[in-house]
Amino acid sequence: MNLLSWIIFTPLIGAVAVLFIPKEKVTAIRATALGAAGISFLLSLVALAFFSTAESATGMQLVERHAWIPTFNIQYFLGVDGLSLPLLLLTTLLTLLSLIFSLSIQERVKEYFFWFLLLDVGMLGVFAALDLILFYIFWELTLVPMYFLIGVWGGPKKEFAAIKFFLYTLFGSVFMLLGILALYFNSAPHTFDLVELAKMHPGWTEHFQIMAFLAFYLGFAIKVPAFPFHTWLPLAHVEAPTAVSVILAGVLLKMGGYGLLRVSYAVLPLGFKWFIPYLLVIATIGIIYGALCAMAQTDMKKMVAYSSVNHMGYVLLGLAAVSSTGFNGAMLQMVAHGLITGALFLLVGVVYDRAHTRDISAFGGLAARVPVYAGLMTLTCFASLGLPGLAGFFGEFFCFLGAFQRFPIFAILAVTGVLVTAAFFLRMIQKVFLGPLNTKWASLEEINARELAAVLPLTVLTVYLGVWPRAALDLMNPTINNMVNILAPLFNK
Amino acid sequence: MTGIHLLYPEILLAVLSLLLLLADLWTPSSYGKGLFHVGILCAALTLGMIGITYSDPALQAGGGSSGSLWVLDPLSVFFKIIVLVTTILALLLTLDYATESRTHLGSFAALVMLATTGMMLLVSAVDLLLIFLSLELISISSFILAGFERKSLKSNEGAIKYFLIGAFSSALMLYGISLFYGTTGTTNLTALKAPGGPVFLLSVLLLTVGFGFKASLAPFHLWVPDAYEGAPTPVTAYLSIAPKVAALAVMLRVFLVLIPVGGLELTALFSFLAMLTMTVGNLTAIFQTNVKRLLAYSSIAQAGYMLIGFVAGGKTGMEGLLLYCLVYVFMNIGAFAVAILIGNEDSYELEAYDGLATRNLPVALLMSFFLLSLAGIPPMAGFIAKFYVFAAAMKEKLYLLAAVGVLNSVVSVYYYLRITYHMFFKPARKAQPVPASLYLYSGLALAAAAIFLIGLYPDPFIAGVRLSAQVR
Repeated sequence: MNLLSWIIFTPLIGAVAVLFIPKEKVTAIRATALGAAGISFLLSLVALAFFSTAESATGMQLVERHAWIPTFNIQYFLGVDGLSLPLLLLTTLLTLLSLIFSLSIQERVKEYFFWFLLLDVGMLGVFAALDLILFYIFWELTLVPMYFLIGVWGGPKKEFAAIKFFLYTLFGSVFMLLGILALYFNSAPHTFDLVELAKMHPGWTEHFQIMAFLAFYLGFAIKVPAFPFHTWLPLAHVEAPTAVSVILAGVLLKMGGYGLLRVSYAVLPLGFKWFIPYLLVIATIGIIYGALCAMAQTDMKKMVAYSSVNHMGYVLLGLAAVSSTGFNGAMLQMVAHGLITGALFLLVGVVYDRAHTRDISAFGGLAARVPVYAGLMTLTCFASLGLPGLAGFFGEFFCFLGAFQRFPIFAILAVTGVLVTAAFFLRMIQKVFLGPLNTKWASLEEINARELAAVLPLTVLTVYLGVWPRAALDLMNPTINNMVNILAPLFNK
Repeated sequence: MTGIHLLYPEILLAVLSLLLLLADLWTPSSYGKGLFHVGILCAALTLGMIGITYSDPALQAGGGSSGSLWVLDPLSVFFKIIVLVTTILALLLTLDYATESRTHLGSFAALVMLATTGMMLLVSAVDLLLIFLSLELISISSFILAGFERKSLKSNEGAIKYFLIGAFSSALMLYGISLFYGTTGTTNLTALKAPGGPVFLLSVLLLTVGFGFKASLAPFHLWVPDAYEGAPTPVTAYLSIAPKVAALAVMLRVFLVLIPVGGLELTALFSFLAMLTMTVGNLTAIFQTNVKRLLAYSSIAQAGYMLIGFVAGGKTGMEGLLLYCLVYVFMNIGAFAVAILIGNEDSYELEAYDGLATRNLPVALLMSFFLLSLAGIPPMAGFIAKFYVFAAAMKEKLYLLAAVGVLNSVVSVYYYLRITYHMFFKPARKAQPVPASLYLYSGLALAAAAIFLIGLYPDPFIAGVRLSAQVR
């Protein structure tokens, strides 16, 4: 087995091992789960070390390829490039941190860690798979564990949130399956190989590409989630347990953005080109509407959930720009959003575990009582609203810069979303942390070691990427430049 | 008569089941379980017999036949094996099935075997007379099996409904056969030359009614929920798989090979039937609170998916249908094994599943896997099966059919997950663990192993299906 296989399947080994540990041995279960996620994370760092960032290294790296179902020419085909490696790293990191945060889970521990590790397998597979059927299988593999994680360990409306999430996402992905089959039967020779398929678009009519694009778009847009398919998100995010919200916002949404780049843009460029005007409108609505919705929330978690709609709008805007700048911005924004929103959900979880409420107006003056927590939360909020010097800034900036070069009006419209974002985050900081201390919380405990261990790495990375975005950009640049250059003649006509 | 030895498996099974029936008359009911084991052994013996028969080199060269009513080819052998495996699994499940009356177990086994004999003949038949006779053999045995719990009102009700609708559809089919004979002058399907005309078309439609009844296609499915709910659960498991699969096999042979429906422009009709069956099955299943009824409607919907492969036709469609049948055996048997397990201990209502995950995690997990496989979620085998039939539909450019198919899978997830919801999300109503039972557990393990093996490493099975999708 190859390195990528180990990264993906170490959590699976962990999950199976967890199943065989008696449910009373909670410590052993936790240790196994953390160990599996930890090894997977370390291995992904090894992959980073082996990954070449030379300008000429535009192809797939760490490739692993075996025939799987030869009848349909389905392969077990893994590989990473500048698009997938950053997201793969993000996934292993966020999974490990979420599991650390989940050490406080007391109820049905065994099942919890089993589903969590299984979820990890699915997410990692999505980012590494280069065969569309393999991609689809991993894509669907994320649904079932997520359903259980929300439905068993979630909040008051967990059952409804779980089934809504499942049906909504499945609805999108079954059309993706039809799109995959359409690509297969229209490729010669028939193949599901993404690298091969990316070379076949000259042979396809615009009509076919548009139809196939729409089939894929439904799957990806629901995952992103792009307006008007975002309605599952606030419910699922709010009802999910903290660690699961982190994964939902940090990784699962990225699967949609990744799919748009990897499949919709690279394989169906004419369909993508046809869709750009609509994508711009959708992105702009997502940015402004998401921000306004977040503004209207009194529940901190729901606010962060809607801010995800807003932030993923930037990603769509960057994608619509179809330029190196825009794509770099979209990718950077996805990574940054994963880190920042992951941290935000963790921090909201921290206060909820203590206060059992997330109502913004229920607090006040917490900065005096829990300074470390307040400091971390404030920093993360600033990062999320795009303050320069923190990770959120460059992603948004490049998205706007890319969009402004081609579609200045939409860029200008979208910038207003940033203002609203700043407004609701600042309002929350003011209401929760500033002012006189609400006496009800006079004995609120400071953030503890377990929570710090989960949050601090994200904070450090947020600052690091804020001052040195090249750490991520250097990984992505060769691939993105190549992707843009190959199809530039089509889009610059 | 040439080639009589090719009929040995059927002859063996028929003779053994009649002997079993006789033996049941003269043995005290305390030996019933022993006779039952003999029944399982007989079915297994027949399976072995098929292996021996099929190893005949003459057959490898391109099939064989015995007279003009009946052929043996890879397709029929495939379905014979599937039907026999279902029989053996269903009989195994019966051993742990708790019921008030455990009398005449030998007759029970014999009836199942007689129905199986009918199916084995049916999948080989190329003459309408033999088709009709084998359908009747299946039907009559199934009527009795459905009403086997004589003291249960539900069982009686289901059996009577099953019988009435069955008799009606048999009559229609017989009428169709007579019309067929009237226009073509023969009941043999191999010697058909360029048929056509409205009367012929009518006869084909009436035949479809007969097959549709057995395969529980909408709108001929009305007997299904009551018969399935009333019948002893292992019989339900058997009826939801074997007759359906056999009826689809004979439809495949009759309509795709012998009278190509493409020539009669019936594709639209069958496409409509497929969509109707899936949609009716799935939408009605949503409202069920009894697991047996839920699985009954689910099995109607599953027949609809299989019909997609049939409508798409061609090699891919046929292979898809075959693979679907194979996978369906295991996922449905698995789900029914859990239903029996819970039904023995509690009831068949959804509430009986409350908190199963905390009482017995492995069973709850396995049940979820079976249900998700039925819904077509990867990496379980149900996905590969659905993938195959949808691929066939996309290949033949039946986009509407494929879209309706995938949308139905989304709907089906809702009610399959209702059971999961009760198992995982609801608190348990009692603390004691589910009592273990050897035969059910082995059935479960077998089914689970099959759906994961086929799901993760489908290539050998696809290869087998490709070899089997050949007709003479």
